[in-house]
Amino acid sequence: MAMAMKVLLTGGSSLLGRTTARLLIERGDEVTCFQRSASGVATSEVRGDVRDRAALLDASRGHDGVLHLAALVGPRLPYQGAYDVNVTGTVNAVEAAARCGRFVHVSSTAVGFAGGSAMGEGVGTATYAGSDVYATTKAIAERYVLDHLSVPTVVIRPHLVWGPGDTQLVERIVTRVRARRLRLPDHGRALIDTTYLDDAAAALVAALDHAQAGEAAVGRAWIVTGDDPRPLAELVGGILRAAGMDPVVPSVPAPLAAAAGWMFERWWRGSEPPLTYFSARQLSLAHWFDQREVQAALGWTPRVSVAEGLIRLTRWFKETARVE
Amino acid sequence: MSLDSPTTPSPTLDQLRAWGLDAAWSRRVALPGAGGVTLDWHVLDTGAGLRGTIVCVHGNPSWAYLWRDVLTTLSPEWRVIAVDQTNMGYSERTSPRRLAERVDELVAFCRQEVEGPLVLVAHDWGGPVATGAAARLDVRALVLANTAVAKPDTVRVPLLIAVARRMTDLVCRRTPAFVWAAARMTGREHRAALLAPYRGSARRAAIAGFVDDIPLTATHPSAQPLAASAEALVDLTCPILLLWGGRDLVFNDRFLADLRRRVPAAQVQRFARAGHYVPLDEPLGPVVGRWLEQIGEVGASPGSHETTTTSVLFALDEHRDDDAPVYVGPEGALSWRELESRSGVAARALAGAGLAPGERVSLMEAPGPDLLVAAIGCWRAGAVPVVVDASGGLRRFRRLVRACAPRFVIGTPRALLASTLLGITPGATRASFSTFPRSLDLRRAAPSPEVGNVSAREGDVAVIVHTSGSTGPAKPVRYTHGALVAQRRALRTLGLEPGSAFTTSFAPFMLLAPALGMTCVRPDFAVDQPSELGFDELAGALKRLAASAAWLSPVAARRIVASARGRRVHLDLVMLAGAPVAPGLAAQVREVTGADVRTPYGMTECLPVTDGTDVDVPGARGGFSTGRPLEGCLVRVVDIDDESRDLTGTGEWGELLVSAPWMFDGYDADWSMNRDTRRWIDGVRFHRTGDVGYLEEGRLFHLGRLAHVIRTAAGPLASVAVEGVVANGLGRSIAAVGVGPRGAAVLCVVVEGSGRLRLAERALSDRVREFAGHRVAAVLEGPLPVDHRHQSKIDRGVLGTDVARVLAGR
Repeated sequence: MAMAMKVLLTGGSSLLGRTTARLLIERGDEVTCFQRSASGVATSEVRGDVRDRAALLDASRGHDGVLHLAALVGPRLPYQGAYDVNVTGTVNAVEAAARCGRFVHVSSTAVGFAGGSAMGEGVGTATYAGSDVYATTKAIAERYVLDHLSVPTVVIRPHLVWGPGDTQLVERIVTRVRARRLRLPDHGRALIDTTYLDDAAAALVAALDHAQAGEAAVGRAWIVTGDDPRPLAELVGGILRAAGMDPVVPSVPAPLAAAAGWMFERWWRGSEPPLTYFSARQLSLAHWFDQREVQAALGWTPRVSVAEGLIRLTRWFKETARVE
Repeated sequence: MSLDSPTTPSPTLDQLRAWGLDAAWSRRVALPGAGGVTLDWHVLDTGAGLRGTIVCVHGNPSWAYLWRDVLTTLSPEWRVIAVDQTNMGYSERTSPRRLAERVDELVAFCRQEVEGPLVLVAHDWGGPVATGAAARLDVRALVLANTAVAKPDTVRVPLLIAVARRMTDLVCRRTPAFVWAAARMTGREHRAALLAPYRGSARRAAIAGFVDDIPLTATHPSAQPLAASAEALVDLTCPILLLWGGRDLVFNDRFLADLRRRVPAAQVQRFARAGHYVPLDEPLGPVVGRWLEQIGEVGASPGSHETTTTSVLFALDEHRDDDAPVYVGPEGALSWRELESRSGVAARALAGAGLAPGERVSLMEAPGPDLLVAAIGCWRAGAVPVVVDASGGLRRFRRLVRACAPRFVIGTPRALLASTLLGITPGATRASFSTFPRSLDLRRAAPSPEVGNVSAREGDVAVIVHTSGSTGPAKPVRYTHGALVAQRRALRTLGLEPGSAFTTSFAPFMLLAPALGMTCVRPDFAVDQPSELGFDELAGALKRLAASAAWLSPVAARRIVASARGRRVHLDLVMLAGAPVAPGLAAQVREVTGADVRTPYGMTECLPVTDGTDVDVPGARGGFSTGRPLEGCLVRVVDIDDESRDLTGTGEWGELLVSAPWMFDGYDADWSMNRDTRRWIDGVRFHRTGDVGYLEEGRLFHLGRLAHVIRTAAGPLASVAVEGVVANGLGRSIAAVGVGPRGAAVLCVVVEGSGRLRLAERALSDRVREFAGHRVAAVLEGPLPVDHRHQSKIDRGVLGTDVARVLAGR
């Protein structure tokens, strides 16, 4: 690492945000976390909202780069609310970054989901055209970033980040199984790549380092994964075993899962439907990507295999249980 | 140009663009014709080229558009000029033309327009025109596609031509019937372009003229010029390439056979799926381009086998009065004496019926005495037997046999009936050892001179067999007499001694008995079902005659071991070949037979390569030992991604290149394939095997097919190396396949099991990963598909697709 950087990181209260911030601090960078609630990272912190342009521009003053993680995530989001955070927030972040000198935008693999399986493919464009609000707004945001390049910019789409403390993948699986509400489409046969938390954070740091003029990584979107695809059933089974639960999950034919998701999406009254059409399709289809180019461009390789990640997750579950 | 000019205007820019032609190519050429009249030709001309000029000549009824692919792919390397002949395409409409005038005009055109090296390319009735012109021009090379310089005797006038000739005016000029019928012979996308210059009966006059110009009788004005073209072709000294669409209703394979007989040195590329308009059906540009590049680069094969005469059948001479059997099968025995006399009768019958030396004969006999007699009879008549087994399905059988264009077909009545009804051997003369209507009886000799034993030149083609198709589409494989003689020597060094007997599960091996001076004992099983050969069948065969050696496919060996139930037979030597053999199986076979069990490496193209010793010796990079390369056989190992990197001395694994005097001569009528698989190293011809392996302490270890190498992001993985370790650890059959794109594929393992292909249970997955030594993305369980011929090679292509389908989800 050449010189220490001053980095403004948005979305610091998320698990990936916290982990990335810690990684940057560990190696000597100065990090300012910008988010609505406390980040829990021992660093300078600005409480603010990415929707608030002035606040973000103000906070970014004196920084060398912006790492933009803040986003509204979830199934069945209200469109306007998601648009404000995911699109307007990104527009503001682009403007803030323009004054700093480098920009890393964290996107999502959902923006390239075209309804089919991805078997070792490269990065497609953010052409998502489905009905999922999160994917739609993230796709608009990514296109905006790549259309408004003023400083060296790298767009990263981390693929299915998981690890200890993760409330998206791990916690959803565990709570759904507890509620006996999880079904695996077609016995969970789809081959899916995931990214262990620490590797995703390291990729973001690498992206920040490579957001410099002349770098191959600049001006493009990249998918990063752990490069260790497994059938969904193995991943889910592994996570359940790590949580000390029975790893057997009933199966449902994939088309039925899609149909159920479609219906839940329309008629479910509760806050979070058990399944959406989008998530049913994501779980039914393979998602893994050719990582050669991105690994070369970022000078980064994942270090935690699925097996190693599960060992760490098991340890974490045991420790948390003891604390509780 | 006045309005009433007979000249057809050039195609419009929009038309040219719609047909995928560069508008700049279309131009007109003023050509001084006979009697001082200037002819107005239309040509497609790509302009300057680096290497020289290719002039393309169309036939009837087409025009320069036919050469679209050649025009687009070969410029600017070459200047390509596709001409519209007089009265054709967009060239001038004038008085009718005959062949001789067309030749004159083409010669005049080339002299006027072309400087530097000239290559002529022609199709259909453009063939005789170009050939006639080539004789009078300094051409570097000649390329002919689906054409003829004479009507072979065995061919009737093609139906389309016959109909057209009866009603020339109605069919060809007054109505566009002939043009339409012809345009239907290729893809729909070409139809508009092919028909465009022939709208209106005035423009079609020449089409009728062309049809009228086909000399069906010797007194026809064009008969003499056509004969001159045929003669010119034979006299040409330049390299010739014959390109052939195998699905041509007009110029069928008989015409190809005729051309090949006239110019045996010509290189041949046959496209089984293309039709009459092969220049439109196949991307010919790259083929022609590569061929032209190679001309002059590679000379004749070193150690030229031109003059030496040889005979693989000297054993037949030695044994002519021997009443000992050369063959013992469930249907009875055949003695040497019978083989000698019966094959002599058959040879005379064939020669008497017009079979000329070098011509091909399709053998459709079931394995048994008749097959042996037929094969030896062919050889003694100087002919080339074509041995194709029907186990790969009728479609493949038909494709392979038709590609060889046999002049005769010898078979059982059932086979002859099927062959005739299904059009497998169109135009071939039927011959049989039984009574079949309108067929030659091979049990009755023709009153022709006595035929001797085979005495052929070393370089002459002796036999055509075929690859199994388990590793890509089945291909006809040509062997010369010289190679067969060398192969006999090689097999003897393996311990197949003259005077002893062997048994086998491979049908083509039975033909080797008379060559080896051995007796073949055939077990009672359907030869296309080697898995039906069990212990009882083997023991039964050995009871008929105590053979000392056996040549078995691994699947037959497995079945024999499985059905032995403690019983034993005695054999001195067992060869397991045809697929990689696990050491465990060799040990079991040793247990049952007490034999020296060997696992030699070899393939249809070069058999054997190694001696098959040391089956149990483990190699540092996995896989199975196939023993040491036989004396006279050279093995090279080259990098799979960069074949110029020779890894032979390093112990690294790579693609295997082999060379031996008993290696095949080439794939028949497949110039591209020969080009892709032939390598010259220090003047020695090598065969690229498409297999991977390595040499360690003089032993050759086989790691499976190059196509089955799994290209992971971490580097290439030889599937067999993974499989060996896991299968050993697990004690079950497994297959390793890659899923995903080349270079970013992931390794998946399938454990053999019943039922549908599905994800394996966790315990099984964990065990596989424990042994694999590489990152395994998914472990599945299900049936392992095998190929049809040997039933022992796992069909990884099919399996890989299945695994990808399961893991892709839906």
